[in-house]
Amino acid sequence: MELSISEDQRQILDALDGLAKPYASVPIHDISFALTSDALDAELAGNGFLDVAAMDDLGPETAAMVVERLARLPFAVETAATALVRPLLDPELPRPLCLVEDGAQGNAVRFLKPGATVVVVGAGGVRSFTASEAHIATAHDESIFAYPMAVLKALPAETEMRAYDVPAAQVLTQWRIGLAAEASGLLAAALAATVTYVSERKQFGRPIATFQALRHRLAEAQVVSNGCYWMTMKAAVSGDAGDAALAALHAQEAARRVTYDYHQFLGAMGMTLEHPLHLWTYRLKALIGELGGRGAQGLAAAEAIWG
Amino acid sequence: MNFEWTEEQRAFRDTLRAFLKAELPDDWESIAHHGPGSAEITRFSRRFCGRLAEAGMLFPHWPVEMGGQGLDAWYQTILAEEMWAAGEPRGAQYMNVNWIGPTIMRYGSEEQKEKLLPPIVAGNAIWCQGFSEPDAGSDLASLRTRATLEDGKYRINGQKIWTSYAGLADNCFLLTRTSDDRKRGITILIVPMDTPGITVRQIPSIIGEGDIHEVFFDDVVVPEGARFGEEGQAWEIISYSLRNERLGIPRYHLARATLDRAVGLLKANGRWEGEAVKIVAALAAALCETARNDCYAIVEKRVQDLPIGAEASSARYNVVLAERAVAEFVVEYVPQALIDAEPYLKMHHQRGIVAGIASGAAEIQLNIIATEVLELPREPR
Ligand SMILES: Cc1cc2nc3c(=O)[nH]c(=O)nc-3n(C[C@H](O)[C@H](O)[C@H](O)COP(=O)(O)OP(=O)(O)OC[C@H]3O[C@@H](n4cnc5c(N)ncnc54)[C@H](O)[C@@H]3O)c2cc1C
Repeated sequence: MELSISEDQRQILDALDGLAKPYASVPIHDISFALTSDALDAELAGNGFLDVAAMDDLGPETAAMVVERLARLPFAVETAATALVRPLLDPELPRPLCLVEDGAQGNAVRFLKPGATVVVVGAGGVRSFTASEAHIATAHDESIFAYPMAVLKALPAETEMRAYDVPAAQVLTQWRIGLAAEASGLLAAALAATVTYVSERKQFGRPIATFQALRHRLAEAQVVSNGCYWMTMKAAVSGDAGDAALAALHAQEAARRVTYDYHQFLGAMGMTLEHPLHLWTYRLKALIGELGGRGAQGLAAAEAIWG
Repeated sequence: MNFEWTEEQRAFRDTLRAFLKAELPDDWESIAHHGPGSAEITRFSRRFCGRLAEAGMLFPHWPVEMGGQGLDAWYQTILAEEMWAAGEPRGAQYMNVNWIGPTIMRYGSEEQKEKLLPPIVAGNAIWCQGFSEPDAGSDLASLRTRATLEDGKYRINGQKIWTSYAGLADNCFLLTRTSDDRKRGITILIVPMDTPGITVRQIPSIIGEGDIHEVFFDDVVVPEGARFGEEGQAWEIISYSLRNERLGIPRYHLARATLDRAVGLLKANGRWEGEAVKIVAALAAALCETARNDCYAIVEKRVQDLPIGAEASSARYNVVLAERAVAEFVVEYVPQALIDAEPYLKMHHQRGIVAGIASGAAEIQLNIIATEVLELPREPR
């Protein structure tokens, strides 16, 4: 047992924080459903932060840490699939990477746009293709889910996809770890934003954070959110299918538990686009439904643990 | 990061398991479900802890100068996990090795050390902890049991409640009020339970026999030497003691073992079918494992000698969620196990409900998290 982060990891996270600093808050006039930044995206990719999983002494756990850290930014950047799944397939695959399951036609897919690499996973194995207009219904730069998203209209014929000699189960495991890592960061940031608001907002002559009805629900949220982080780390270190399914399950359960409350605690302010809360909570909502949601994660976990 | 046990740690766990296998009687599980304070387990623990002591496994985590092996908190955790998941054959004596012994070594007078430590070290000492009172539960500092110093003796009057193991204990680690200063007016007395004027009444409970009691003190007189530390030093001392006990019992471990057993039963009976049961089981497993990880993160801090703050409350609350999820799983999917031939599941069910109350209620943990982890402005008093 050794649960602290290494010196190398600390340095990477410090450097990452330095790079991310200009993106830590929402530009004043940038009021939108989703916030993206090509510059941030390019800087991250250019500096190799998304390639740490394959590096000696760093590995998937460091990749998960990077994903978690970046998810705390109000900007939506495609990190999880690139950092955790791409190393299994081909480190040169063009970003963004979009992960879909077999039979995903009709599903809303995060970061899907022409030129994106779509990785299809399922009983048919692991394949990829480059998305074009023909595969996409309508691309939404800012969907309500606070990610750029689009509905996948159609998959190309099997012969037009590139196949990989990687077990689908392994890709699913890394996908779940990425999902849990991203959710961990989103959960932390959404909680922090809510805590700041309720500590400042006064009603009845006192900060609303002094009312126990809010305090306890926020404290519970802290417990489940913090739990997410450790579950993610354990799964990233072990690469075990059961650990990964439990981490994703817990992440989706935590997200479901807290997102509604956070908006509630902001009152009408929580309904605005002017407050950035939705940039984390609505991304969490997208993750709640990914990979079949809690039910599917639960079944995967049960299968991995008890057979 | 590394979530694997080292070879030495695994070997230590194997040794403990082998020891348990050799020492526990065949019908152990039907003894264990009575609860750690029951007459059966108390009797058993006096023999069992003696054997543990002989094997060097009663307090391997104590420093060498105290007679231990100086093993770190990971070993203490492994020891606690194996014992608790086996139904805690140490009975009440787990308290001795976790905090009573170390506290005596740190704060006791020479005379107290000479008298009180040998039975603990021999695995033959039952203690009870007289903190809570009818009007002082979560608000412990409001306790009122009075101790008055007269002619070199303390005269004690008052009442304790929920006192575990009181019926069979040799000594009570008693909190008394010696002045009106809320926290600095509290003083510890070590009171032999056979002192005249003490009356113990067992409280019938759903959590197991022998666990909780009322203890009445009517003009109980003890020598001044029964005082532990200085007058008014109790709060400081128990803060030290409980620091070692921050996480308390490794409940996540028994909860997970119980869940695995419940699934095993369902499979054996052809009822591990359909999606609902599997999803609910997985949700419970996730809570057990997240509680475990939270606790391990704190053990790591202890090992590295880093300060432990309110994250301990977060871990404890997670443990409450895990206990509850497993108990609810059993009630929903294997209810018959609680009334029929599965004492192990019944044992968990009886003990699990305690997690949210004993040694600091769940809502108090939430209060601490709100103030100290989230740093929300304090509630008005
Ligand atoms: C099995 C068991 C064994 C025990 N063993 C011992 C023992 O050996 N020695 C000993 O001294 N004590 C023992 N206790 C007592 C235990 O420490 C107390 O039960 C505990 O401190 C809670 O006190 P209470 O029961 O009076 O509940 P209360 O303090 O009355 O609490 C009742 C409810 O109110 C909530 N509440 C109270 N204050 C607040 C607040 N400020 N904000 C929000 N909610 C609040 C609590 O969280 C709880 O849900 C034991 C208890 C149990 C269940």
